Amino acid sequence: MTNPIISAQHLKKEYRMSKDNIVHALNDVSVNIYPGDFSAIIGPSGCGKSTLMHILGLLDKPDAGNLTIEDKDVMKLSESEAVKFRANRIGFIFQGFNLLPSLTALENVILAGKYGGLSSSQRRIKAKQLLEMIGLGDRINHKPNELSGGQQQRVSIARALINNPTIILADEPTGELDSNTSMEIIDLLKKLNRDNQQTFVLVTHNLEVADQCRTIIKLKDGHNDN
Amino acid sequence: MVSYNILEYLVIIKSIHSMFNEIFRNMWRKKLRSMLTIFGISIGILAFTVMGSLALRFNKMIQGGKKYVTGQITLAPKGTNFGMGGAGGTLPVDTLNKISKVDGVEAVAAGIEMPMEEPNLDQATVSMGPAPTIEGMDLSSKFKNRNWETLAMKEGRMIEASDPVNSVTIGYTISTDKGLKTGDAMKIRGQDFKVLGIVDKTMTGPDTYIFMPLSVARDLYIESNPFLKSLKEQAANAQEISDSALAKLPAETRAQIEQARTFKVEDISTGAAVSWKDGYDSDQVAQRIKDQFKDEVIVMSPKALGEMIDKASAVFNSVILGSAILALIVGGFSIINTMVMSITERTKEIGIKKAIGASSRSIAREYTIEAGIIGLIGGLIGIGLGSLMIVIINNAVANKSGAIFELSPVFLAIVLAFSFGLGMTAGLLPAWRASKLRVVEALRQL
Repeated sequence: MTNPIISAQHLKKEYRMSKDNIVHALNDVSVNIYPGDFSAIIGPSGCGKSTLMHILGLLDKPDAGNLTIEDKDVMKLSESEAVKFRANRIGFIFQGFNLLPSLTALENVILAGKYGGLSSSQRRIKAKQLLEMIGLGDRINHKPNELSGGQQQRVSIARALINNPTIILADEPTGELDSNTSMEIIDLLKKLNRDNQQTFVLVTHNLEVADQCRTIIKLKDGHNDN
Repeated sequence: MVSYNILEYLVIIKSIHSMFNEIFRNMWRKKLRSMLTIFGISIGILAFTVMGSLALRFNKMIQGGKKYVTGQITLAPKGTNFGMGGAGGTLPVDTLNKISKVDGVEAVAAGIEMPMEEPNLDQATVSMGPAPTIEGMDLSSKFKNRNWETLAMKEGRMIEASDPVNSVTIGYTISTDKGLKTGDAMKIRGQDFKVLGIVDKTMTGPDTYIFMPLSVARDLYIESNPFLKSLKEQAANAQEISDSALAKLPAETRAQIEQARTFKVEDISTGAAVSWKDGYDSDQVAQRIKDQFKDEVIVMSPKALGEMIDKASAVFNSVILGSAILALIVGGFSIINTMVMSITERTKEIGIKKAIGASSRSIAREYTIEAGIIGLIGGLIGIGLGSLMIVIINNAVANKSGAIFELSPVFLAIVLAFSFGLGMTAGLLPAWRASKLRVVEALRQL
């Protein structure tokens, strides 16, 4: 059996909101995700889904527990090493798209390529290819506010893909989209998963979306919900 | 080995272009605020440009003066302000002759320095530069200023001992102010003179000088001073009395007439310059003169005068430096303020950038450059307005006393670099704060 590409064991994370109010966002959560998987983390809101995704994406650090990605103990990475690791191995897709409003679709994608260390010509060529592949070839010079929600999410998918990451983390990727558009986006993600053998982890509370995933990880109140 | 082809260069240019594009678009998003910040810096840089150009002009003038006075030992009459021969003090010719025999002294040249025109307080005009000055020169003296043996001529030549006594050579500013050329006639204090030449622009003293033979300047000086004029007349009258007639006069009257006879116009000099022989130390020679004649003349060694001038220009320069620091503080804080606000507004963007792989360093760099560009634009506007102001003022006063500002491209380039540096420095703190934002918290912002 292959090793998990992401192995998180006994993760704990708490947020101190005030002196007496401590929120246990994650309380002993363990997850294994295998290469090429298309998995969903589901659960009611406030169950710790987003916190888990932030930790898996090295955007945040757990208070306790172990995390290895591609057999590397990422807990031991320094901040700048984590930045580099994240830029090259992990792509992010956010619920609110999180595109930079002052940049065009093309520039948004190019920027991620720049942070990932691609040369200026490489990133420009690749960004164009990706936007064409996901069906936005005629919209590359539009700003986010000139694009529909579905189109914006496609831009953010292209942005997540530009550095050829092995893992793509999507936080409620269809959260702000109507159901038709949601299914188009999920189909696109599935196609990418099939074609490129990239590992996808979707955080969602949409059960229709979760139904499309091969593996489902359930969380409840900061625990694994088996 | 990295090698780039032309296409690669084009792409690099395009990516630099897109970085600046983003910065300008970010600034454009908050037009009013960006404009106000830039305006604040512009005012500071404007002040810096104008004050700096004034200082440059002034320093050039002062340095020219310094070059001159450090090339000679300068003598001034006792009881006068140095240099201007005020209070009617003069240097007796006997004393000057004695000084010329001091060990190390090569030559002593007496001189007359006086304003070209009597100040007319009823019709006071505002003069921005040094006033036109008559320089009476001893053309037969062997004296040469060590740093300034000859003045470069724009046209014609310097007056010489063999020229008619009504010959003058004039400074560049005098010629432009009065529209005079070589060969033209001019009236000075009611007398007619002929211009033999025009000295090339020196940016210092000689620009406003009228060089004429010492004897002529002396006459003008005596004529302008009622006390000296009456002394001269009395002497002339006393000379007319024959010795036999004098012998018959009472002893007291005779003594007065004999006293009046001792007056010599050669005793009238408002200053003198001393040159030293090769191989001698100027300060030692000056000290030697001082030791022997300290009751008769004020002796200024090249070193002492040089130091005096440096002190004066240091005061002036510190005023300029003060204005630059003020520009720095005002402009700097307004940039800090703007950048802190921009970063607060863009917290989420910074979070996004970090989430997609931006390092803290690249975030800090982006914001530092943005602040630098705000400084640069403010600098460009300030320099533009300042230069415009300088050109207008210079042109307006050019017909009276010559330029009062020195517009130097090198200085402007320094000011521009300074404003960019100021912006970047002011941006450092906000940029550092931005780079330290925690991604997850930044992303939660709306």
